[in-house]
Amino acid sequence: MSNSTDIVYLDYAASTPVDPRVIEVMTPLFGVDGDFANPSSGHIAGRRSQEHVTHAAEQLAGLLGCSERELVWTSGATESDNLAIAGAARYRADRGRHLITMPTEHKAVSDVFHALAKQGFEVSWLRPAESGVLDPAELAAAIRPDTQLASIMHVNNETGVIQDIEALGAVCRKRDVLFHVDAAQSVGKLPLDLGSLPVDLLSMTAHKVYGPKGIGALYVADRPGCHVEPLIYGGGQQGGRRPGTLAVPLIAGFGAAASIARSEMQENHAHLRALNDRLWQGIRDLDGVVRNGSEASTFPGILNVSIADVEGESLLLALEPLCVATGSACNSTSSEPSPVLRALGRSDLLAQSAIRFSFGRPTIAAEVDFAVDRYRESVGRLRGIAPGLVA
Amino acid sequence: MTSDPYSARVRELFAGPDHAGKLEKRDVRVQTNAQGVRVALAADVDGDIIVGLRFRAWGCPHLLAAAEAFCRAFEGRPVSALQAFSAAEIMQTLPVPREKLGRILVLEDAVRSLGQSARLSPEPGKDTD
Repeated sequence: MSNSTDIVYLDYAASTPVDPRVIEVMTPLFGVDGDFANPSSGHIAGRRSQEHVTHAAEQLAGLLGCSERELVWTSGATESDNLAIAGAARYRADRGRHLITMPTEHKAVSDVFHALAKQGFEVSWLRPAESGVLDPAELAAAIRPDTQLASIMHVNNETGVIQDIEALGAVCRKRDVLFHVDAAQSVGKLPLDLGSLPVDLLSMTAHKVYGPKGIGALYVADRPGCHVEPLIYGGGQQGGRRPGTLAVPLIAGFGAAASIARSEMQENHAHLRALNDRLWQGIRDLDGVVRNGSEASTFPGILNVSIADVEGESLLLALEPLCVATGSACNSTSSEPSPVLRALGRSDLLAQSAIRFSFGRPTIAAEVDFAVDRYRESVGRLRGIAPGLVA
Repeated sequence: MTSDPYSARVRELFAGPDHAGKLEKRDVRVQTNAQGVRVALAADVDGDIIVGLRFRAWGCPHLLAAAEAFCRAFEGRPVSALQAFSAAEIMQTLPVPREKLGRILVLEDAVRSLGQSARLSPEPGKDTD
């Protein structure tokens, strides 16, 4: 069960605990006896710190199949998304001001597009099929001569739906449109070979893959026309693309987490698949329950379900001490139905009842069985209270 | 300071809605639908005294807790007391966040309707749940 004995945690898509092996790497880098120095300093201590940064970049580049020079350290996926989208749009603004994305993106992406729209950019929002998947032909049809950037996430944070980023990227590459991918939910969990994928910009974060919070990275492909204007100024670090003193312990932790994820990816994937199937099999016979997102193209770490005649906020409370989400964590305090689920064609009533279960390395079958029992019991109890539903 | 959106009182009422369900003998029954929520109330009245109250509700935990709190507070009181039910008061005592006022007002509407129906139709009503 989860480390805290009073909860059952099934919200690994929101955040993961730091792997003890990662903590072991990070801990010595904080104190006076460790390599705490500023990695930009030219002295011996600074160079020692820089070695940790270089090693972490090699580890992350190894996971992604890219060059270390193509990685920019950030504070997390939100900053990476902002830097990629706003930075690239501004860099290429003299060529055109049309941008493409989807309403199913995380707010870290969609809110950047809303902000750019207020600054004179034009944004096309492409809707997915009911499965949640975007047809590459839809993307091709939306590209115009003045289109500069398309941003499509790899694994949806609410539904787990996987987009075919290879096919979508190929469409963009053919038309000289930069292709950004928010891969916060897929880095370290699904194979990614940026050496062969037609992806120009890719956002990631450490805390979704058993690394520390506060550190992320942006991949910027080393190819002509692919560049980002910095969002902040103040120093020459990272080629000026993202200035500021590097957080060496966090970066080292991200590198270690990437290395572990690379070596254990296949095993973890099978573990998640088994847990996902176990939960779905346990609840799929309930009246009015539906799975959000195509079963065939969904990352097994996430299972998102809606159910008729049950109010979502009450369901979430009734499920305690089960820790799950009604949508993305960033949306969990909003009572508005999820725009992601609305884009999949779900009614407001079904969308508001959605629960996202997400599994991780520490999840065990007994926790899933607890979730099944709790979900069935809670649905029955709330339906029993609702008017007109019980004789 | 807590980040818990629910007070201990709301949690207790939500977890133990003793008055959720239906009355075997129901003299008065009302239902209101608005603000994306549904509230149904039923009362068993003996003379002018409410001897039993039950609710059904579809909505957020605050609404369900408020409905249970109402039932607990008004059983055994005269029908005329229903007019004293105040959404503002229950918002403060549970408490309920201000953005949910509309939902609690749906409950207030139901309570007012229950009071009017109880005065107008003292004879037993039909069970139409």
